[in-house]
Amino acid sequence: MIDNKLARKVFGSAFVATMVVPAMAFAQAAEAEGAAATVDYRVGVAKAIAAGASMSVSALAAGYAQAKIGSAGAGTLAERPEVATNIIVLQALPEIIALLGFVIAFMIGTA
Amino acid sequence: MSSTTTMKRVSPSKRDYGYCNARVRGMRSRLLKQAFMDGLMQAKDLGGIITSLMETEYAPELEERLLHGRSTGQIDLALKDNMVRTFRKVLSLVNDESLEVLGALLGRWDLFNIKTVIRGRHMSLSSEEITESMVAVAQLSQIDLDELSRQQSVKGVVDTLSTWKLPFAVPLRAAMPEYVESGNLAVLELALDKYYTEWAAKRLKGRGVNQRLSRRFLGTQIDTINLLTCFRLLNADLGDQDALRFFLPGGTFVTEALFRDLASMSDVDEVYDRLKRTPYGRPVEEVAVKYIESGSVSVFERALEDYLMRRAFAAGQGDPLGVGIIIAYLWMKANEVTNLRIIVKGVSVGMPTERMREELIVV
Repeated sequence: MIDNKLARKVFGSAFVATMVVPAMAFAQAAEAEGAAATVDYRVGVAKAIAAGASMSVSALAAGYAQAKIGSAGAGTLAERPEVATNIIVLQALPEIIALLGFVIAFMIGTA
Repeated sequence: MSSTTTMKRVSPSKRDYGYCNARVRGMRSRLLKQAFMDGLMQAKDLGGIITSLMETEYAPELEERLLHGRSTGQIDLALKDNMVRTFRKVLSLVNDESLEVLGALLGRWDLFNIKTVIRGRHMSLSSEEITESMVAVAQLSQIDLDELSRQQSVKGVVDTLSTWKLPFAVPLRAAMPEYVESGNLAVLELALDKYYTEWAAKRLKGRGVNQRLSRRFLGTQIDTINLLTCFRLLNADLGDQDALRFFLPGGTFVTEALFRDLASMSDVDEVYDRLKRTPYGRPVEEVAVKYIESGSVSVFERALEDYLMRRAFAAGQGDPLGVGIIIAYLWMKANEVTNLRIIVKGVSVGMPTERMREELIVV
């Protein structure tokens, strides 16, 4: 189980990264461009939020999976050091989740 | 009570089974294979067995014990030492939840050790003889058991356990007056058995999957003890004693009513008829003919032992992130040590390979 305090911190940071930061950035940009660009501004904010959500959720999922694999891998290595290569491969596999999240975020951003 | 009893350990978080189960699986991969056991049975003498075992996990303990002589007794002690070390290692790395569960299930080893000391003291055996028969794999450490075996009388043992505030002192203290009056050791042993089953069942209360699995396994253990008592009562004359006083509560299938019925029967066919709707029907049926031929209750004892071992191994085939993996491994290890002891004894007395193979518990 994830420690409650740690979970609050992690999800809090993810929320800030996903919602607040892009909104602030786009808010500044929007102010500069003026009221005529209101529609573009809303689309841009939505895209930024979606891209942020895609990236942060996939990164959190990859982190969770790696934590589980890491602890089991450490246990296995303690008893059977000869399978180190397999453990490293397994440990790296969840990175794909983060990579896919990044690709999707990129696609949303450029759409 | 020695400070080693409460082990200082860095435990994983309460329910993190990833780390400990991975380690236990790693340890499980080093259990001896059937082919190795077959090779061991072909050994010509103890020297051959020692050479083979020196290439396994047992090497450190063997090296240490063989300094005192290359005898069956020393190999036996080395195997026991290895089992103790393995159990202690597993207990030091498991998480809090499984430590609680294993504490309850391994309590039977404490029970076994206390019974051994009491029997030894009752029969005025030497401390060394008593110590050699004990296996410090549960709460009581080797130092505690040495201290217990040094006591001069059964009362001394009970008093020491009371001083340590161990739960098993409670039933012993209560049964002491009857024991002193009758001199019957069974009074103490029965009180201990009953207390253990209730104590363990209480510790395994809970709604989690792991608690349910452990409760079921404990229930199977209690059932097998109750069934064995019934088989022993088949040809026994109890006089005016009530058979129910031998009943241990907490079983899964063998209820008080079923126990009463079984205990009143005098024929193995009747027992089988009554048991055939329970999981114990098949193991009993398989050895019924053997029992009729030999007339020995030990065939049922063996069949129930095999069944219990199969249940323990099956516990390890469920949730990969549950306590079942650990339970299965500990029982597998104990089984391996038992099998090795049989082979060592068999080879040392020139027992035929086929006879040895019959004695092994292979699941």
